[in-house]
Amino acid sequence: MKKTSSVVDLLLLLLAINVLATPAFSDLVLSKVERRIDVTSQIARVTKTLKVVNSGSESVSEFTLTFPKFLGNNLAYLTVSHSEGKGKAKRFLANLSVKEAHAKGTPDSISFYSVSLPKPLSKGDTLTLEVVAAFTNVLQPFPEKITQRDIHLVMLQESAQYLSPYVVESQSLSIKLPNARIESYTKLENSKVQGSEIKYGPYKNLAQYSYAPIVVHFESKAAFAVAEKLVREIEVSHWGNVQVTEHYNLVHRGAQLKGEFSRLEYQDRPNPQGVSAFRHLLARLPPRAHSIYYRDDIGNISTSQMQSDSKKTELLIEPRFPLFGGWKTFFTIGYGLPLSDFLFASEGKRFLDISFGSPMIDLVTEKLIVQVVLPEGSKDISVTTPFDVKQSHEIKYSHLDIAGRPVVVLEKNNVVPDHNQNIQVYYKFSNINLLSEPLMLITGFFVLFITCIIYTRADFSISKSSAAYLAKLQWDEVLATLQEVQNIIQKCLAAHDKLEASLRDLSRTGDIQTCKAARKSTDSFLKDLSKELRPLLASLQSFPSASQISPKVEELVAKEKELQEKLMAKHTTVVEGYEKKSSGRDIENRIASQQQKIVALRQEVDDLVEFIDEI
Amino acid sequence: MAATPIASPIPVAMYPTLSVVTLAIGLVITAFFFIYEATSSRKNRSLGKELAAAAVASVFLGFGSLFLLLASGVYV
Repeated sequence: MKKTSSVVDLLLLLLAINVLATPAFSDLVLSKVERRIDVTSQIARVTKTLKVVNSGSESVSEFTLTFPKFLGNNLAYLTVSHSEGKGKAKRFLANLSVKEAHAKGTPDSISFYSVSLPKPLSKGDTLTLEVVAAFTNVLQPFPEKITQRDIHLVMLQESAQYLSPYVVESQSLSIKLPNARIESYTKLENSKVQGSEIKYGPYKNLAQYSYAPIVVHFESKAAFAVAEKLVREIEVSHWGNVQVTEHYNLVHRGAQLKGEFSRLEYQDRPNPQGVSAFRHLLARLPPRAHSIYYRDDIGNISTSQMQSDSKKTELLIEPRFPLFGGWKTFFTIGYGLPLSDFLFASEGKRFLDISFGSPMIDLVTEKLIVQVVLPEGSKDISVTTPFDVKQSHEIKYSHLDIAGRPVVVLEKNNVVPDHNQNIQVYYKFSNINLLSEPLMLITGFFVLFITCIIYTRADFSISKSSAAYLAKLQWDEVLATLQEVQNIIQKCLAAHDKLEASLRDLSRTGDIQTCKAARKSTDSFLKDLSKELRPLLASLQSFPSASQISPKVEELVAKEKELQEKLMAKHTTVVEGYEKKSSGRDIENRIASQQQKIVALRQEVDDLVEFIDEI
Repeated sequence: MAATPIASPIPVAMYPTLSVVTLAIGLVITAFFFIYEATSSRKNRSLGKELAAAAVASVFLGFGSLFLLLASGVYV
């Protein structure tokens, strides 16, 4: 304790000197100040209720808030609001704007913040201000190095009297500790311990810049988890997903581990040791989070549990080893969120409405980088944040990108869970841009097909005059001619079928004229086809390599012709029979022999076609 | 004007089904294309037919592979 008290002494001295040099502030008086300091976690959360009275004659529109410098330097979060009413009827009104203000001639050991009041406070008026401030790094581990067996003790320095540039009429302070195990605390008049709470005051009629240093030394079991650097990447896809990826560089900022770590003692069942270490971290993710993963450079870390309901998703992750003071770990968690929960349209613009900070509970982030990756083609990007952040823009190249995706990079140091407020990223985006990705894929496939088409058409032979090459060329032509012959034969056979169909129609309807017309058209069609066939046959005969095939083809053509003739003859007979009004049986008898030949011929033709097909 | 939530143009739950269907159609047409390329002789191959098959197949394969990416969690 010697060391701390000397620090405090020095501070007191400095303050005493500085107080003399302080210029007079306005005539405001704090009629009642209630301070509550919560140190149950690693963050010191201070809430103050200040009742301000204007005792001067001029109206005042600015209020000055002060903290000792050693606290002010570690201030992570500060909001001031004003309230009306008392007790349960208390209503919090608008947040007031606060800015750091260091006027000339004010002491260096005090941090000043200037609060603009909602309306100027005229003579005799009162106003109640609610101040919430969060400090990091103010709980100093003491001793600074402990062994695995030791408990974790920390120390808090504050002032029992409210440090203010105004006169304070009545002031009280209560400090809420994590448990009742208190090593020591500065005993002043009117100080008492109630369980895990220490109370100072009330103190009456304090002068300006009153300062009564106190030190509280107590046990803390809270996880002193600090992310030295946290990169949150939020990627928006208009195909229905918001992907969040968080890279943590975590360190335990409590008392450092002295000596060696024994896993055996750590896991000893009846008396487990290592209470200063933490093994779990709890992340409270938004509801409907899916595809959650937890990994590091080695790969997946399997020690995580997830619970979800309609309001939240809780992810309990366990690093690969328990973290003792000074130990570090690195890991990545990622999760997908449904698009419609976070993306909205308003006045022709779209905006992403998403939480700024880490979802980890009671985590302090020293350097937080939030990268919001918007879809390719987003324009007019603007960001609104409830607090100041450093902003910059980047381009990221990802899947199926040409111009790259615009990235909004937000940076903030010393982030506490109080900063987990929603930020809005506004941008313009046209749904037409969505089609660029499928179009790119389609083009890719089409290029592949075109390559195939070109390949099959290209001639890759080196020697254009070799015998084998020429033979191949000729054979190609033979095949082409054969295919054409085949096509024509198929057409002929189709025409035959048509003719037969016309005969069947005739027997059903007795309409001779239609049948004759069909015959006529088929006749001319078949004639055309045979005309087309002639040059093909001639060219086929001219190829030496086709000497084996051409007789077969000729046979096929001849048979087809015969079939054609027989069919015509049958057709004529039937039509004549109908014209002479012969009976159905009579006609059938007359064509019976023709029909047999036709069937036989058709069979032969089909066989030949099949043979040629196989070449 | 009140903010309205924006959803994806096609429900996310549909992606697996869509990807299977469109990829199946695309692959069938691709098969037809390659069979045609391999069986028709160089002289009487029709460029129009080839291009038509290629275009239709690439549209189906393009959308199919997009839906496959989305269904497997690669949100492009």
